[in-house]
Amino acid sequence: MKGFAAFVGLIGIVLSAGAAAGQALAPLPPLEPPKKEQVELGKSLFFDPRLSGDGGVSCDSCHDPATGWGDGKALSTGYPGSEYFRNAQTLLNAAYYKRNYWDGRMAGPDLPTTVRDHLTEAHFMQVDGRLFVERLRQVPEYEEMFQKAFNGEPTFGRTLNAVAAFLKTIVSRNAPIDRYLKGDSAALAAAAREGLTLFQGKAGCIQCHNGALLSDQKFHALGVPGNADVFANPLRHITFRRFFRTLGAPNTENYRGDPGLYGVTKDRADWGKFRTPGLREVSRTAPYMHNGSLATLEDVAAFYDRGGGQRGNKSALLRPLGLTDAEKRALVEFMKSLSGDPVVIERPDLPDYKLRKLGQN
Amino acid sequence: MRTTRFAVLALAALLLGGALWAGGALGQAQRFPALGPLPAVPSPPDNPMSEAKVELGKLLFWDTRLSGDVSTSCATCHDPKLGWGDGGALSRGYPGTEHWRNSQTVLNAAYFSKLFWGGEVTSLESQASAAATGNVAGNGDPIMMEERLRQVPEYVRRFKEVFGVERPTIGMAWMAIAAFERTLVSKAGQVPFDRYARGDQSALGPEARRGLALFQGKAGCIQCHNGPLLSDESYHNLGVQRNPAFENTPLRQITLRYQHVIRGVSETLYRSADRDLGLYYTTKQEADKGKFRTPSLRELRYTAPYMHNGVFGTLEEVIEFYNRGGDDNLNKSPLMRPLGLSEQEKKDLLAFLLSLSSDQPLIVEPPDLPAYAPMKVEARP
Repeated sequence: MKGFAAFVGLIGIVLSAGAAAGQALAPLPPLEPPKKEQVELGKSLFFDPRLSGDGGVSCDSCHDPATGWGDGKALSTGYPGSEYFRNAQTLLNAAYYKRNYWDGRMAGPDLPTTVRDHLTEAHFMQVDGRLFVERLRQVPEYEEMFQKAFNGEPTFGRTLNAVAAFLKTIVSRNAPIDRYLKGDSAALAAAAREGLTLFQGKAGCIQCHNGALLSDQKFHALGVPGNADVFANPLRHITFRRFFRTLGAPNTENYRGDPGLYGVTKDRADWGKFRTPGLREVSRTAPYMHNGSLATLEDVAAFYDRGGGQRGNKSALLRPLGLTDAEKRALVEFMKSLSGDPVVIERPDLPDYKLRKLGQN
Repeated sequence: MRTTRFAVLALAALLLGGALWAGGALGQAQRFPALGPLPAVPSPPDNPMSEAKVELGKLLFWDTRLSGDVSTSCATCHDPKLGWGDGGALSRGYPGTEHWRNSQTVLNAAYFSKLFWGGEVTSLESQASAAATGNVAGNGDPIMMEERLRQVPEYVRRFKEVFGVERPTIGMAWMAIAAFERTLVSKAGQVPFDRYARGDQSALGPEARRGLALFQGKAGCIQCHNGPLLSDESYHNLGVQRNPAFENTPLRQITLRYQHVIRGVSETLYRSADRDLGLYYTTKQEADKGKFRTPSLRELRYTAPYMHNGVFGTLEEVIEFYNRGGDDNLNKSPLMRPLGLSEQEKKDLLAFLLSLSSDQPLIVEPPDLPAYAPMKVEARP
């Protein structure tokens, strides 16, 4: 009971701090619109498996519009012959982050570099940047699209920029919460409105899920249960071990769980911390958490209600919430109100390779 | 035993030296390293041979986990049943790509001091690494491949036995593969020409014997194909015609341009790239354009098609090519001249070339590969 009182006190502080920092819930601010021709090109490239080493995987293999721009699996698949050890995050609103990936190892505003990482890393698409450029040069339609988009022929950098331009268009719009925040009180049903109150109050979600993106853009350890498959499935464990070796993290042989941000900073305090994901479109992006270990939003509400997981280094922000079943349902209803119009993209017809005149490159 | 072998070699050398001098039609008083049986296989001091290492190397040679998407093993392009090449004019290459050169036989590769058509590497160990990681060959990531090996208990056990290490390393995998490849060599007793060179006159028929004389004489083959390996390990431009695949296959065109990019030629050269420039990519010397390393002629019977781009499907075509002095190309070697061989002489030459191959092809059956198993790591709840 004493704990509860302290908790309520804490929420009060956080809420006022949040308000002071201008992190109130709000509609997403518009992004600077990318050049139309670059978006069009980037869309084709996004779906084109020729941007992978063996021509077998494209961006949409793991970021499929039909599964909330993720892959719908707990743990992502990765490059053929390997299996990844984290959940494929949605690309919806990806352009709004300050840091990219669950562990934030890439700078958010430099979206093209995150695209580059996906293309060239061994666990994702494993392609040589010089090879795919020559592939693109073998497709006259691409040569034309690059001309229109960049006034030049296909290059490594332009390819990354085009995909990044396309990503800037995958933005969530017109969610019930946005209409509600603009004054349409009918946009949220009673349960969702109760959920909003809980979200900002008793449940304390707002401590981390705040601002227009519903993410504080920071890193926290929730003590999420490990996904046993990372260690039980050799293909995942191989990818896991290679990944942390290439980050230069020490003592990787002995890891028994995902070190998260620690792999990037090598600061012991960062063990098990992951970037707070935005909650927009969350009803479309199951399963949840960095390792997909929670299948439904109900599972997520229950997880927070019991104060998160048991693993070490857990954030002090997580404590049992004492929510009733009705309150948990209300929270879920609120989370559902965060999804807007589906971002539907028609799969482009990919242009084929054509012959070039030998010696005229 | 060692002395005896040496004596036999010396005898063979004398014998062939005699034969060489008899071939005066070459018109030049040049002496070339004598033909004869191959000496014992050399192995580098830092990678000594052992049975266990060869056994390990054999497993790895067939293991597709030593490639990017686990599709491609050494054996994919170096198949024993296809003369330890891949049987194509141009090698198949990694999925999503098509290679740009002929996949060379692994047989007797152990004797070369430079490997690949352009002689780009100097050991079997580095050849294995380059092929497994090359983007149009194996496209493997070294650390990923190493971690895969560590997740196979049978490999962990074998690497420990062979190298005394707790964890396999990728460099050791290349060493083991190289050791295996050092066993893939012609055995003198099984090669008609080698038996002949050791004194068994009946090992070559009259045609092949006449072919040998032509080889060292009128046809001038010995100028480049000399020594026990039948290669001078040097580079020559023969004026081999271009493979039309580069005109009619988009994926080959991609690889051709890609090679120009990664090998660092000038922008101008990239823009006009229409052929394989061979040694030039390494030296950037104009005179080296179109030069390729002289291949061995041993086991030729099993290693069609021929030339760096596989344009010749049969040895008859190869002989015709040399007889007409090669085809047009800039930089063609002055050694290439019309030979004026009669039909009978061409047959004789062919008979000799065939005598350089083992009576039966050297076949190794694919081994059963050990499986992954989870490491003893307990994920905490």
